[in-house]
Amino acid sequence: MTGHAFFVLTALAGGPRHGYGIVGEVAELSGGRVQLKIGGLYGVLDRLAAEGLIEADREESHDGRLRRYYRLTRDGRGALAEEAEVHAAAARVVRARLGLTGPAAAGAAG
Amino acid sequence: MSGGLDLEQRYRRVLRLLPGYYREQWEEDMIAAFLDGWVSGDPDDDEWALEFCRPTWGEVASVAGLAARLYLGGAGISRRYFAWGQAIRRAVLAVMLVHAVLGLNVLVRTAWSRRLFGLPAPPASLLTVPPSGVWPTVFDLVNVAWIVIFVTLALGHYRTARVLAVLAIVPGLVALAQAQLTGIMPAPFGPWAWWALFNLAPVLAMTAFHVGAPLPARLPWLLALPAGYLLVIVPIMVAQATGNLAWVPDFPGQCCLLVALACLVHVPRAWSRRGAGSGVWSLTLVLLAAIAGAYRIATLGNYLHEPHLMKVSLAELLILVAAAALVAPDAARAQTPTPAPPPQPQPG
Repeated sequence: MTGHAFFVLTALAGGPRHGYGIVGEVAELSGGRVQLKIGGLYGVLDRLAAEGLIEADREESHDGRLRRYYRLTRDGRGALAEEAEVHAAAARVVRARLGLTGPAAAGAAG
Repeated sequence: MSGGLDLEQRYRRVLRLLPGYYREQWEEDMIAAFLDGWVSGDPDDDEWALEFCRPTWGEVASVAGLAARLYLGGAGISRRYFAWGQAIRRAVLAVMLVHAVLGLNVLVRTAWSRRLFGLPAPPASLLTVPPSGVWPTVFDLVNVAWIVIFVTLALGHYRTARVLAVLAIVPGLVALAQAQLTGIMPAPFGPWAWWALFNLAPVLAMTAFHVGAPLPARLPWLLALPAGYLLVIVPIMVAQATGNLAWVPDFPGQCCLLVALACLVHVPRAWSRRGAGSGVWSLTLVLLAAIAGAYRIATLGNYLHEPHLMKVSLAELLILVAAAALVAPDAARAQTPTPAPPPQPQPG
């Protein structure tokens, strides 16, 4: 799973969002590090939809334009949880290698 | 004045870069997302923005990138674009393979000439003089770098391969420009054709190796490197060592004959229509035939005063065209669009 796909799925884990809403949510989730362009976003949405990880939720009219909202599917939720576990496991390994595990390290870090 | 177009129309014009089937599914949604990015909530500012602002270069680039991924398709894309994407990816790998085999030849000849690894002394005709000066050394390094580029690409490290390939084609361009400007170009078109067809074009076509593209079949491609060396370079070295080099076609001729041979080997599969993906290989071979044929034509000027070699070159071209024609119908079938569009989400 690419970094962009991971962030898009994470954005949708909080509830259905429309295209620009996903861009804003991803920017917020990543602390501004990931700024999705619309072309890039729809490339990701297209792939995730083709893989059955997201689906359209509803359409709402806003200023005369239709906004389509997307939501995670059950498979999408599973794939995201799996990916999150991979990241968490990697983070545990890094913290162990850096000697950041245990209460003392946690206290020092805090 | 806004030139008659408002912001929405300008975005629609940018979205024309995308394939029609994709626009049908996603255009309205993308337009809404683009325009949402301009809306501030202040009616005056919004009206001004919607009338006078233009899509940013970053937005246009992101749509162009999406268009490239869709036209040079990966999984989930319509059959026609997927076939083109796969054919271009395989053609790029094949051209990189040619570079890598030539690079391997440089390595082996250098090692042999220096009698490394306990190798016996090579025949005088195969002795390689170590490069002297900056350019020969740079070109030897570039030749070896192509091996790394090919392996990196075959292993699926697309970004690394792209960066290395861009760096690898620069010395050739500089040397050609220098030769052209100082009037020491050995032939009018051949060197430029080599650079354009075997350097620039494949590097540009590496766009087809995007995140949605399927990984190449690693093992067959990696095995093709030693196999290409043994089946093509070694016989040429034998001919050179035994004084029969005159029987070996020049490099453009070798390209024509190798692609023609590949077409002939593929003909039974292409005509039987049995193998899945046969059409994609046919399309790949037609692309390679176009590259080899263009290179042969561009280098015909080398033999303007040698009628015999000119006839040989034209014969090579004819053999290539005839062989490519045998697989061309199968290549055309691979591009037949499927009636069903790729899976898209519908409002649930």
